[in-house]
Amino acid sequence: MKIKSKWLSIFLVLGLVLAACGGDGEGTTTTAGSGDETTTTEDMGEDTTTTEGEMMEIATDVGVDLEAGTITVGLLSDLTGPFGPLVTAIVAGHNAYWTQVNATGGINGLTVNLETVDTVYDVTNHVQFYEELKGEVVAFGHSTGSPHTVAINSDLQADGILAIPLTWYSGWTDPAINSNLLPHGTPYCIEAMNNIEYMVGLSGLESPTIAIASIPGDYGLDSAEGALLAADALGLEVVYNGVGKVIPNDETTYDEVAAGIVGSDADLVFYTATPGAFSAVYGRAIAAGFTAMWSGASPSWNPAFVAEDSAIREAIARDFVGSSYYEPWDGESAGAANVREVMTAAGAPATDYYGEGFIEASILHQVLQAAYDSGDMTQAGVLAAAKTLTSVEFDGLGPTEVYTGEPNDIVQRSQWMTRPSLESETGTMIVESNYTSDIAAAYEFTGACYVLEG
Amino acid sequence: MLYTSYEADQAMVNTTTKRVALFLFVVFLVAIPLFREGAIGGGDNPTGSLPGPSFLAEGDWLRLLATVLIFAIGGLGLNILTGLAGQVSLGHAFFMGLGAYVAAVFGMPGGGLWGLGLPIWIWLPLAGLIPAIIGVLVAPTAVRVRGLYLAIVTLGLVFIGEYLWRNLDFITGGSQSGRSHPPFEFRLWKEEEPLISFAEDGTWFGILNLDSTGKTYLFLLVLTVLFIVFAKNLQRTRVGRAFMSIRDRDIAAEVMGVNEFKYKTLAFAISSFFAGVSGALLASFVGRSIPETWILFLSVQFIAIVLIGGAGTVSGTLMGSAFVILLPRIIRDVTGWMQDVVDAGDSFLASIFDFVVSTDQADFGLVNTAPGVAPGLGIDQLNLVIYGLLIIGFLIFEPLGLYGIWLRIRNYWKGWPFTY
Repeated sequence: MKIKSKWLSIFLVLGLVLAACGGDGEGTTTTAGSGDETTTTEDMGEDTTTTEGEMMEIATDVGVDLEAGTITVGLLSDLTGPFGPLVTAIVAGHNAYWTQVNATGGINGLTVNLETVDTVYDVTNHVQFYEELKGEVVAFGHSTGSPHTVAINSDLQADGILAIPLTWYSGWTDPAINSNLLPHGTPYCIEAMNNIEYMVGLSGLESPTIAIASIPGDYGLDSAEGALLAADALGLEVVYNGVGKVIPNDETTYDEVAAGIVGSDADLVFYTATPGAFSAVYGRAIAAGFTAMWSGASPSWNPAFVAEDSAIREAIARDFVGSSYYEPWDGESAGAANVREVMTAAGAPATDYYGEGFIEASILHQVLQAAYDSGDMTQAGVLAAAKTLTSVEFDGLGPTEVYTGEPNDIVQRSQWMTRPSLESETGTMIVESNYTSDIAAAYEFTGACYVLEG
Repeated sequence: MLYTSYEADQAMVNTTTKRVALFLFVVFLVAIPLFREGAIGGGDNPTGSLPGPSFLAEGDWLRLLATVLIFAIGGLGLNILTGLAGQVSLGHAFFMGLGAYVAAVFGMPGGGLWGLGLPIWIWLPLAGLIPAIIGVLVAPTAVRVRGLYLAIVTLGLVFIGEYLWRNLDFITGGSQSGRSHPPFEFRLWKEEEPLISFAEDGTWFGILNLDSTGKTYLFLLVLTVLFIVFAKNLQRTRVGRAFMSIRDRDIAAEVMGVNEFKYKTLAFAISSFFAGVSGALLASFVGRSIPETWILFLSVQFIAIVLIGGAGTVSGTLMGSAFVILLPRIIRDVTGWMQDVVDAGDSFLASIFDFVVSTDQADFGLVNTAPGVAPGLGIDQLNLVIYGLLIIGFLIFEPLGLYGIWLRIRNYWKGWPFTY
């Protein structure tokens, strides 16, 4: 039975002819000024409008409405996925910061509004939401997840939009990829070095043995790479290597890694995972009678570990050494006091994670202000303003972030060290502020510790 | 309908009305990227466009439509397997992942991960052929069982796949890290500059301005039409009739001389081909995939597409695909609109919507627009609930799915005003 192939073949030929005849735009590079523009579908051309009461003319295209007096910023967040509770608190911090700023006039009278979307930590959703929001926002206040940010990075470059990555992957300091990004905070691998040297000091042992484990992915592997470098630099013997072996939600890997750690009889354990995977392995280890000092990257900890009904609360309060890239809730700096004041006034519960939202928002605030002052609040203008940033300060809430200079000179190396606390509201107490370990200070940072392939 | 020839009886588009409607629909689909302002016209600042709903040509909606086309291809494959041949399969995600990684290995240049850097006319067909071969290898296990047991066997495939993708990190990039996939570019062999690239904006014939999404959409449309014609034609061939007889009563079919083993294997092979191509297109369209992309939920989405749309029908699968992909966006837009009505002030509608939508911790609602903080279901969770309810509802009340609903509407109006 033959298909009436006439119409089908005509359609196909037409399709192929169209495809073949189509020329490509000149300027296959993504630099500005090439022959073909309009890389965003929503480009309505630049409007130059005079704001009321201001003598300056501000250029705008997307996300800034001078008539209505609003600036729209996008947040690509994971609110119900693996890092939901953490990112929800960060978003709450963002919201509170901008509410405070808007109440005192915003940015020269312009109110900043946040457009938050839930990507559920899925790459396809992340890209889809990026496409939706890029025609509505002037920049992205944060983009959650490393592979997710990598997926939109080439689009960010093609569209000329700024994004602040919400991941502490060490690869963001690479100038070859961060042209549209503003990374901040101590990268995972440097954090690991800090944590391990602190643990060694705390343990008082001459040369303790160490077990290192992690979940796979940029987060786990970057952190584990730092741990291996630290063990090497300090001359510690790695008695168990479970790097990348723990698969979240796969109980057999929990059993295997816990058995490995217990069997190795290590003095120190450095284990980076999601909170669920961390407590699962830790619980199994202490049930087997294992005692050691434990630590991991900051997102491995969850205040629920020391909650009233937690089975591991005493043990983990004894064993765990925690860290934070910014000052936790109880901090003494002016920045931390501001966070406490604003969040308590908003009726939010005490938790350590709002600080990240405030830091991201502070960076963006400085960028938007610089863009306004230069008279160009288009997406490209905001990006250009971001590239003129030299440094951002946070009133002690976080270490000063420097943006000009060699990666080795400007990468963040200091952080806060914490221990669990059974009494405090947040579940942690600060034991060391602005701590930089010797090995982290001496480490020659030449690029990503763990290279995200592909 | 009175058919006077065998050709007329077997025609895929058998009435003039259908032909005209199909023609107009295809013209509409092709014209969608041209609804955007600035799509027509030469020079530096073109402003022309075809008259039509311009929101469809916006980047995000056009991306959604392109995703609908990609899922339609995969859905057609599952429709052939489940709707036509009656073999329940939860393993679609495995074959999609396999197709995506085959495409990545053959299409991406080598480096830290495996890659051969071959052009699209090699990696795209291979992305279908290799899963088809694996489907043939899997088939002997599958054809011995039917129904629930077949579903479990194919479910096992998905979990085997998850394990493989996590551990073969020299192919997949590893859990949570992932890898990039080849863009849509045409090269003859491994040249530097592609002949045609769908990843950049461009101008065709000097007056049609299309951005990369528009070009990609048209490319996917051509591919989808190819697959639709194949799938529709399959139904009226000997193979298609064999599939349907196996679906209806496989033992009776065997008795009548239909080689059950051969045709079930063929069904798996064809379905896996479609799934592999669909997976490769999806991964290349998004640009990056992680092993967690190819999970059971993806298979469930395809089951939803086939069941909600109407198992066994091609137009049903297309309707199902559009429904499943566009549903989250529509829910989001409707919730946003409801929120605007609530914000706008007091009206009867506003008070109802206030009950339905919640915006912060203190506000009660069934659906929330501030996930993680406000009570109520999040949009994604609402999606899942709706999928489940719809699958159950359609299976009970309208087994032919959306296609069945369309049939009822059509039949009602056929006899109007004398319907009974």
